[in-house]
Amino acid sequence: MVSLAEDVAIVAFEQTPSHAHFNDSEPAMIMPCVNSVIEQVGMDRHDIDFTIAGSCDYLSGMPFAFVMNIDAVGAWPPVYESHVEMDGAWALFEGFVRLQSGDIDTVLVSGSGKCSPGSYREGFSLQTDPYVHAPIGLDPRTQAGFQAQALIAAGKATERDFAEVVARSHANAKNNPYAQLSGDLSVDELLAEPYVQQPLRRLDCPPTSDGAAAMVIARADKARELCDNPVWIRAIDHRIDSHHPTLRDLTDSPSVRIAADRVGLHDGPVDIAELTVTYSPEEIILRDALGLNGETAVNPSGGPLTGSPFMAVGLTRVIELARAIRNGDGGRGVAHASSGPALQQNLLCVLEGDN
Amino acid sequence: MPQLHDVDYTLEYPYTRTTGPVIGPFLTGLRDGRILGQRCGDRVLCPPMEFDPDSFATLEPDLVEVGPGGEVVNWTWVAEPSAKHPFDRPFGFAFIKLDGADTDLVHAVDTGGDPQAMSTGMRVRAQFRDERHGSVADVYFVPEADAADQVIEPGEEPVTITEHLIGLRINEPLYPHRARFAQGLLDGKIIGQRSPVTGKVYVPGRGYDNMSRVLMSEADEVEVSDVGTVVAFTELNPVQYYGQTETEPYVRCSILFDGTDQPVIGIDIRDMTVDEMRVGMRMRCIWRDPEERSVEDIDNRYGNIPETVYARFEPTGEPDIPADELKEHSW
Repeated sequence: MVSLAEDVAIVAFEQTPSHAHFNDSEPAMIMPCVNSVIEQVGMDRHDIDFTIAGSCDYLSGMPFAFVMNIDAVGAWPPVYESHVEMDGAWALFEGFVRLQSGDIDTVLVSGSGKCSPGSYREGFSLQTDPYVHAPIGLDPRTQAGFQAQALIAAGKATERDFAEVVARSHANAKNNPYAQLSGDLSVDELLAEPYVQQPLRRLDCPPTSDGAAAMVIARADKARELCDNPVWIRAIDHRIDSHHPTLRDLTDSPSVRIAADRVGLHDGPVDIAELTVTYSPEEIILRDALGLNGETAVNPSGGPLTGSPFMAVGLTRVIELARAIRNGDGGRGVAHASSGPALQQNLLCVLEGDN
Repeated sequence: MPQLHDVDYTLEYPYTRTTGPVIGPFLTGLRDGRILGQRCGDRVLCPPMEFDPDSFATLEPDLVEVGPGGEVVNWTWVAEPSAKHPFDRPFGFAFIKLDGADTDLVHAVDTGGDPQAMSTGMRVRAQFRDERHGSVADVYFVPEADAADQVIEPGEEPVTITEHLIGLRINEPLYPHRARFAQGLLDGKIIGQRSPVTGKVYVPGRGYDNMSRVLMSEADEVEVSDVGTVVAFTELNPVQYYGQTETEPYVRCSILFDGTDQPVIGIDIRDMTVDEMRVGMRMRCIWRDPEERSVEDIDNRYGNIPETVYARFEPTGEPDIPADELKEHSW
């Protein structure tokens, strides 16, 4: 496990509900989240040292859409600011690394995405290999279908296992006011639904969602000054598997295994895991690769199957975990974010409460 | 009367990419009706790669024909094809281990829309499209029993550039504040938003004041004057990029309407030359007749005061405003 130069904590966080369609601009969606976290820490906006956002212009349908999003973070007079064309969880990673240099105290992190105006299947097919995959529109749902089929072929899971992930996620989401979908679903009824991407059915796939999330992170002394109950980021790691799905064992996630080792996941109890399960089979792969047993509550929020605003959904996993720790639901846990198709890229973040 | 409408556009870019020493011959082969793999030690990689996927060592180009037959080793059925898929009817995507290759190619299998025809272990065969452009989309696969014999005329020059027209379709309602702004233009009114914090008036409003980080609503909206002052202008000489519709030079200016704090940019002037424009010049909007107005070019991001709502902007003849008084607004 990597030792840190600086201890860093989450001191404030906010998220929007997962909207089926948010009928206003992306900055208008982010702005209330940003205002909320600034209010929570009681700082003047311009006393925050560094600002970083994650979003995707292909989702927004406009070149340099991320520049417009700066409207939401209060960037005038000019602030020290950056952007990643990634989920907000990677913005958090950059902010966390930036704090390790020890010369600044606070970072404002945000992530946002509106999937509803476009087609994420078409947009995200453009992040595949530009010569052999993108021209045939190889989309993330197709790659999730390959992954599901591979699990079944290997005898590692069944369609009923997928349906059980869906039913459990929707049941958990009944307690989550931010969830887009929730309720009691029967596994047999789920299995009676038609395929949209055989062997996947509609609810094995994420809903179309719009949403945003924001947080403030701070170095240790500042964190204690800004709030009574900081949630500590003990470690973050990000690992990548090949972008050629045919060169991977789709039933496993070597990148998650490496990241779990690097963050020292099992050096302490794992009470809660908030995982970016965008397609139901991914939970089975992630549980296995993370080495989780029955003692870990997996996606008590319901997870992305019940609300999946791309580019905010990974940062939202970190927020859901931080909230659960603040609420005393657990003392230590792991948040997982993913990028690329079929869990190609994985980020793990270990959080721990103050006690 | 003209009406508001949903936003519905496709943003397209034609990407051209050089192909390099391995993908180039692969795409040339597809154009010419052959599938090539790359030797890597005692293995053959298809799709071919410039590097060993295990050691990442560079591979010297060494291509060998594989297929056209192969075996499906993984598959998924696309019940709802996207606009970017190779078929507009349901089809299978598959990992295909081509005869003579040791790795799998991801590609589409057309079974005539029948998912029952797909299975792991099934035999498939390549079919080449009538029109081929040196793209991986030049080929597709069918169950071996359905394959037709094809005679393919090879092309002449090797493929060194591949073109991919990417497109994103955006479809959503006008946001409420954009709808009110657009309706205002149809009614011959310019609607702005007044910040509840600073009192500054923005045209068009964005639904928020980005200086004060507050959302704004219909309650913050005001009708502003259609007379204003030129704060910036330029002559556009249209570059013929993909999608360009302009051919002749024209003037584009920014006008600060009376009582507002933000100029409206992108107002096009067709009946004056750049030599006749001045910063500080007073101008008045001459609206089109109501039934001739259109706001179809206004979406949720672009479109301020389009030419489809005004006939022209006309100098009022008032004395110019000194440029020094406009320096906060020269954009």
